[in-house]
Amino acid sequence: MAQLDIFHYPRSRLKDVDLALASSLEGMLEKEVTSKRLELKEDYENLLRPSLEKILVGIGMQKMLWPEALGGEDHNKPDVSYTIVSALEQAARADVGLAFLAAHSLSLQAAMALEGNYDEDACRAFAPLFCDGSAPVIVSFVLATYGKGEVSPLKGGKYPQVIATSAGDGWVLNGKDIRPSCSGADADLFGVLCSVESEDEPAFVVMPGDASGLYRGAEFKKTGLAASRNAEISLSDVKVPAVNCLWRGEEGFRRLLSWYYLGLAGAGVGALLASYELIKEWGDTRVIKGRGHIFKDNPLTAALMGEIAKEISVSRLLAYDLAGLLAEPETYGDAGSQSIFVAASMIAHDIYSTAENTIHRIMELMASAGYAKEWQLERYWRDVKTVQCYMGSAELAKHDYARWFYQTKTL
Amino acid sequence: MRSIEEFTRPLEYVTPLDKVLGDLVKSWAENEVMPVRRQFDEDWERHEIILPAFKKLMAEYGLQRAPFPEDLGGMGLGRSDATCVAVFRVFEHIARADSGMGLAFGAHIWPMEFITFKPHENRRLCEEFAPIFCDTTRPVFAAMVMTEPQGGSDIENVEIIKGSTLQTTAVREGDEWVINGHKLWASNTGGLAELMAVYCTTNPGSEDLNDFAVIFVPSNTPGVTHGKPYEKAGMATDMNSDVWFEDVRVPVWYRAIGPGEDAKWVGEIMSTGNMGIIAWYVGSMMNIYERLQEFLEPRKYRGRPLKEDDGVAGALADFASTIEALRILGYQSARMLDRQDLYGERWKPKAVAKARAHRYFAADKSLEAVGKVMNLMEAYGADRDWDVEKHWRDLKIIQLVEGSKQLCQIEVARWFFECETL
Repeated sequence: MAQLDIFHYPRSRLKDVDLALASSLEGMLEKEVTSKRLELKEDYENLLRPSLEKILVGIGMQKMLWPEALGGEDHNKPDVSYTIVSALEQAARADVGLAFLAAHSLSLQAAMALEGNYDEDACRAFAPLFCDGSAPVIVSFVLATYGKGEVSPLKGGKYPQVIATSAGDGWVLNGKDIRPSCSGADADLFGVLCSVESEDEPAFVVMPGDASGLYRGAEFKKTGLAASRNAEISLSDVKVPAVNCLWRGEEGFRRLLSWYYLGLAGAGVGALLASYELIKEWGDTRVIKGRGHIFKDNPLTAALMGEIAKEISVSRLLAYDLAGLLAEPETYGDAGSQSIFVAASMIAHDIYSTAENTIHRIMELMASAGYAKEWQLERYWRDVKTVQCYMGSAELAKHDYARWFYQTKTL
Repeated sequence: MRSIEEFTRPLEYVTPLDKVLGDLVKSWAENEVMPVRRQFDEDWERHEIILPAFKKLMAEYGLQRAPFPEDLGGMGLGRSDATCVAVFRVFEHIARADSGMGLAFGAHIWPMEFITFKPHENRRLCEEFAPIFCDTTRPVFAAMVMTEPQGGSDIENVEIIKGSTLQTTAVREGDEWVINGHKLWASNTGGLAELMAVYCTTNPGSEDLNDFAVIFVPSNTPGVTHGKPYEKAGMATDMNSDVWFEDVRVPVWYRAIGPGEDAKWVGEIMSTGNMGIIAWYVGSMMNIYERLQEFLEPRKYRGRPLKEDDGVAGALADFASTIEALRILGYQSARMLDRQDLYGERWKPKAVAKARAHRYFAADKSLEAVGKVMNLMEAYGADRDWDVEKHWRDLKIIQLVEGSKQLCQIEVARWFFECETL
C-alpha cells in the first residue's frame, strides 16, 4: 500500500476507520484472492464467492450504512463517500468484479439509509436482510436502456425495462428479457427502475430475488467480471408491497446513480493501481534492445509509462473529488440533483475511459505478457471494459451533460 | 441491410485468383466457423472444436498447400505477382469469422515464404516438405519460431540488433545442424505445428548477419519439446507454447536460404506479416459492422430508431469511416508489396517501415472504433453472444503480434527520419 501512496489522494479527509477498513481489505484480499489467483484463476465457487462473502459479511460492508438500531454500523454520514472510494480501490485491486458487486450494495444502502435522505420504513424493511444473516446479500439493479417500443422513454431518452402497476397496497411488476446490471443468476435483491403504467414518473422498486413470478435465464458468457454471474430475467406479475417502492420520479434514481458511480469510480481506480503495480515490475526488470537497457529507462517507453502514471494520478484525484462533492451536500447540492448526478457520471465515465486506454497502453508495453492470463493484466482490461459497457453508453451520457451545461430545450 | 462488400476495395487490384479464393473462404467462414466460434474460448487448450473447423479450409480446400509450387501439389502462391492482394482477401474473410484462425493460417504461410517465394525459392526444401502439407487430408500447420525469453521484439528488430541477442544456437557438425535453445510464443506451437522455421545464431553475440540462421525443424525430431498451450485473453484458435530444443539434429540443407540471405528475407516476412495484420483488422471490423446492424435494428432511443438519433449516427459514421479507410489502406498496402517494380523490394527497410506504419495506424484506429461500438451497445457489448467483444479481445492481441507498437514506431521513425541509432 505504501508504494501506491505515491499517487496522491486527500489522505487528511479519511478517518482512521476508513484507513483501517482499506488496510483490512488489502490484507484479506491479498491472502484470499491475489495469492490464489494463478491456481484458481476466475473460479466463482472456490475463489470469488468466498471472497465476496468475506467482503460483505466478514469485513461487514453490507452492514456499513444501516442504523445501529437495526443491526448496522451506522456509518451513514455523507462523508462515507471517502470510505467507499478507499475501500473499493482495495477491493478492485484484487478483483474488479468483487468491487463492482460491493458498489451495488453500498449504493443501495446509501439510497435508503444515508443521513439527509434516511427512509425509516425502507430501512426497517430491508436492513435485517443485510444485518442479521451470515450470507452475503447480492444486490443487482435493473436500469434503463434502449427500448423496443413497449413503454414511453424517460426524459433522458432511455426506457425502463419493467412496467409497474399499482395494485391495492403494493405493486405488480412485469417485463421480459430484462438485462440486470449484474448477478441475474443469483442476486438476492433487485433494485428495479420501473415505468409506471399510465403515469409519467418512473418508480424505483426493490424486488426480492425469491419473488414469485421472477424467472431467471441461464448465466451467459461475457467479457469479464467473473464475480457477477449474470443472466437475463423475466417478471410475470411479481407482487411487492408498497414499502418496496423507494421513490417516484427521477431525483431519487439520480441519487442512487450518483452513489453507484462513486463506487464504480473507486473500483476503476483500483484497477488502475493494480495495473500500475504490474507495469512497474515489468519496467524495473525487463531489458530491451539487447544492450542491457532497462525498459523503464528507454525514452520512448518511459514517456508512455509517464503518461500512464499521469492518467492514474488524475483518475485517483477525480474519484476523491467526487467523494468530496457527495460528502458535502450542503455545499455542492444533493446527490439527486442534476448538478451532482452529471458530475458523478462524468467522473465515472472518464475514469473508465482512462482505465481502458491506460491498460491498453500497458498491454502494448508488456506485449504478449499483457494478454497472457498468467500475468493478470488482461483480467483488469476485460473487467474494466465490462463495467464500462454496463455503465451505459458514454456517447449518450454526453446528452445528460449537454442538458445540464447548455440548458438544451428538446434534447 | 448493406453488405460488407459496400466497403471499398480498389477493384483495379482484383485478380481472378483473388475472386476464387475470396468466395471459397467466405463460404467456409460462414458455414464452418461462425456457427461454432462462440465455443472457441473454452477450447483453447485442446482444439477439439477448432481443428475440425480448420479442416475444410486447410486440407480439403487445400490452403495449407498454397505457397508450394504447382508441380509439387501446391497452388504456386509463392510464384504469383498477385500474392499479397489474394492473401489479403483470404485473411479478411478468415478474420471476419475469427482472427485467431487468420493468425494461425498466417503463421503457417510465413515460414513457408522463406522457401517457396521467388526469387529465393529453395527447391530442395520445397520437394522435401511439400508432401507434409500436400499429400494429406488432415489440417497440417507450420510455425515460425522466433521469440526468446530474454527479449521478444528484439529478435524481430534485425536491422539494428542483427540477431546479436539470439540465444538459440545452431552448431554445424558434419552434415547436420545441432540446435539448442528455448523459444516462446510462436503461433501453432503447443504441439500443433509439424514443421518449424527456427531463428538461430551460428555465432552467439555476433552482429554479422551471416550468422543469423533460419533452420527448418520437423516437430517430431528428437530433442524437440513443445510445452502446454498458454491461456490468453483471446485468440483461442492461435495456439502458443514454449518450445525447447535440446541437441536437435537436422540436415545442413534445412537452413532456409543461406548466410546473409536468411536475415535479408526476414524483412519480407515482416512486410507481408504486417499487411496480413491489417487484413485481420478489416475482416473483424466488417463482421462487427454486420453484428452492429442487427443490434441497432429493433432498438429505440427517445422514441425513434436508435440509429436515427443524430448523436448515435455520429458514432456510427465514425465506425463506418474507419472501416472504409482501413480497407482501402490495407489493399493498397498489399498491392505495394505485390508491385515491387513500382514500390521497391518487400524485404527492404523501406517496405518494412511502410507496412509497420500502415499496420499500427490500423491497429490504433480499429481498437478505438471497436471500443466505442461496445460502449454504444451498452451491456450487450460485453456479451459473448454478440461477438463484438470477442473481436475486441482478439484485435488487441493482434496489435502485439510480430512486434510491439513501440517497435513499429522505431522502425517507422528510423526510415522516414533516417535515424541511425534507434
